[in-house]
Amino acid sequence: MTNEILIQLLAAFLFTMGMLIVLLKRDTIMILMGIELLLNAANLSLVAFSKSANMLEGQIQVFFIITIAAAESAVGLSIMVNLYRNFGSIKTQSATTLKG
Amino acid sequence: MSIVIIILCAISAVLAATMLFTKSPITSALCLLGVLIMTAGIYGLIGEHLIATIQLVVYAGAIMVLFVFSIMLLNLNTSDDDLKKKPAIFAIGLTLGLGVFSFLFYAIQEHYSNHQDNKVMGQFTPELIASLGGNSKVLAHALFSQFYVSFEVISLALLVALVAAVVLAKRKVN
Repeated sequence: MTNEILIQLLAAFLFTMGMLIVLLKRDTIMILMGIELLLNAANLSLVAFSKSANMLEGQIQVFFIITIAAAESAVGLSIMVNLYRNFGSIKTQSATTLKG
Repeated sequence: MSIVIIILCAISAVLAATMLFTKSPITSALCLLGVLIMTAGIYGLIGEHLIATIQLVVYAGAIMVLFVFSIMLLNLNTSDDDLKKKPAIFAIGLTLGLGVFSFLFYAIQEHYSNHQDNKVMGQFTPELIASLGGNSKVLAHALFSQFYVSFEVISLALLVALVAAVVLAKRKVN
């Protein structure tokens, strides 16, 4: 077992945990943190594969993913502030305006 | 394989599991911060210095400050335990997670045992990167020559996201 396999296994575990957080938690802030964890797992996997194949494209891609993650979390958190202002809570079950 | 990477991976896995099972958002945010710092350490140890620095500055610095700040702003304390309230959903979720993890494990194991000999290798061996002046220099050169259009588009996307965040946070919706 080498470093690469260990890092890929860690990326798989982090991805699973992020997916479970997105699926099971009810706070929108926890869901956003789960998305960050998912992106981090994908970054880890990309960097490890790209490093082991002697390429640069994975690292460049990770650079762009981190930038997009920063933009995404800024927009997501401001949506969350709006949600709190309008519904008084950031639970997913409190925003039920569209419910028929 | 180095012992430091094993320790970093173990701490990071434990922190990720704590993120799932904890109740308070601030504990979860601090665990996420730990995971991001450990990941930056792993990047540094396998020789990706630029990515490690960006991970520390942007992820563990800027994004986590945003998260902690909005937890403070919204005054979120311990949420009532929705995992214990619905054990059936929790059990289904854990089963699904186990399924996804075993699939990923199978894919990794398959890749590293059967598909190693027909791998396409790039030209940037560690020796070449060292002779070209190090990881940061090589990555920066690629970023500003081969990928400069993407770089400009990404900076535009960041600007749009900044304006969107300000507009969304200011607007009063009826």
